[in-house]
Amino acid sequence: MNEVTIGILAIVVLLFLFLTGIELAYAMALVGFIGYIILVSFKGAMTVMAKDFFGTFSSYGLTVIPLFVLMGQIAFNAGIAKRLYDGANKIMGHIPGGLALATVAGVTVFKAICGSSAATTATFAGVAVPEMDRFGYAKKFSTGIVAVAGTLGILLPPSVVLIIFGMITEQSVGKLFLAGFVPGLLLAVLFASVIVGWCGINPRVGPKGERHTWKEATETLPEIVWPVVIFVLMVGGLMGGIFTPTEAGSVGAFAVLLLTLFKKDLDFRKFVKSIRESLRTSCMVLMLIASSTILGHFIAVTTIPAILADWVVQLPIHRCVIMVLITIIYLLGGSFIDDLAFMILATPIFFPVILKLGYDPLWAGIMICLTVMIGGVIPPVAMNVFIVKNITKTPVGIIYSGVYPFLISMAALAVLLFVFPQVALFLPNALMN
Amino acid sequence: MSRFLSLASSLAKLMDIVAGLALVGIMLLTSLDVILRYFGRPIQGAYDIVSMAAVFIIGFALPRTSWDRAHVTVDILVDNFPAIRRAFWVGTRILALFLFALLAWNLIKLGLDFSETGESTLTLALPLYPVAFALGMCAVVQCVVLVADFARTGNEGGEHE
Repeated sequence: MNEVTIGILAIVVLLFLFLTGIELAYAMALVGFIGYIILVSFKGAMTVMAKDFFGTFSSYGLTVIPLFVLMGQIAFNAGIAKRLYDGANKIMGHIPGGLALATVAGVTVFKAICGSSAATTATFAGVAVPEMDRFGYAKKFSTGIVAVAGTLGILLPPSVVLIIFGMITEQSVGKLFLAGFVPGLLLAVLFASVIVGWCGINPRVGPKGERHTWKEATETLPEIVWPVVIFVLMVGGLMGGIFTPTEAGSVGAFAVLLLTLFKKDLDFRKFVKSIRESLRTSCMVLMLIASSTILGHFIAVTTIPAILADWVVQLPIHRCVIMVLITIIYLLGGSFIDDLAFMILATPIFFPVILKLGYDPLWAGIMICLTVMIGGVIPPVAMNVFIVKNITKTPVGIIYSGVYPFLISMAALAVLLFVFPQVALFLPNALMN
Repeated sequence: MSRFLSLASSLAKLMDIVAGLALVGIMLLTSLDVILRYFGRPIQGAYDIVSMAAVFIIGFALPRTSWDRAHVTVDILVDNFPAIRRAFWVGTRILALFLFALLAWNLIKLGLDFSETGESTLTLALPLYPVAFALGMCAVVQCVVLVADFARTGNEGGEHE
């Protein structure tokens, strides 16, 4: 058997192991380790394993993950999202579909200080859906928009998914943040357009909410200003080369901590809960990264990524078609495994192919994040839909039916990114070169 | 048996507290470093300290993460067919135990290598071997937690709590 056959066999074994219910990280580390023994040597495999785990766990660069997760958890547990939603509500709640628009606006601002899609979705499912219920919004509409808007967290900085992508492909996290910024905002606008369109066609899905005076509306502005200030400080420092990503995460987490303490939104119990949740998420993600490093070392020995890249490039097919196929693989893989885990697993294999096709690495990162977002709301495994289901006790089928119209926005953004890559690239190119 | 379970769970929780303190510690240290650097007096070796603290954040959080079953798994098959979950449960636990036993052994060996070669961090010259040993210890505790987790659910492999 040559290296490639062993590599392919190993991937088949890995997929089988996934189905047994074993932790994905463990399966990746084991297959990588045993594969390395077969292709190189037992001694080599032992060294690779120890060095990869030690190297990942003692990496300065990767501390950015627990820090950004901590920032988001503090913001989540302190209830900042509720204030943001109430604020947005007072400004736009009185127009048709206004409470849904306020959800998109609230998520967009909350996102500035919370990189987690799951935490954002959970918060808004608890805050925005009851409010929309109160004004008689159709259940599929209210739950659908919350599930979908939550995914904005994957594209808008400081996205944890973008950070992970940057870490595994050695791209600048600052540049990736900037690349995600315009597409993220654009997607928020596209979601808003679907809301307006849907309410135009069927006004009963999103009736008008309460009207507030201008005075009431302007009083909520400071709530919106603070997260934006922290965001500008953090991302600005990162862009200007003043901070490393780890420092940006620390400063951001510390600033949100001070803000929530100052506003008396955070007590010791909530703080401990934030830390505990951050440790769970970070440990889960770092285990996946450490294990995929071991697997990656084995896959590199099989020479599969290089052969795949060379083979794909000489195919008589337009590179757009290949890129679409790659995104479909991400969607399918993510649906059956787990979107984030699949991204960590598959990116080392497909990234060289994408580069060889001549695509920009930042653009590729945004496209892959978009597939992770879509994966988060479509069957069979839709993380965001499940979160909304658990919190609002709405049947999954109803939420899915509310999600589908918004997929148009995501598809529109994907097409736009294909035709005009500058949508993602002009900001990092203009500001960071 | 229940004493063993509570011991494993307490150990995991205790280590999780260390991990939490390390996380808050690097947040404060790095923020302070950024502020002091603005005044031209950065903290020497902050990079080294953060890298070493990272081991404590992730490594020490590992047992609790396993105890809480917070690692990603593919549930689509095993959730729908409990018989399959039961069939594979013992096997996957043995594989997991094998992985972390191997890792513990490897990391302790790495620690011995580090102590022999005197490997250390760049700025502060902090020796690396105690950190490798600490991570090796995390893998040992992880093995204990895996056994305890198995004992708590029996060979059913079903959901707990």
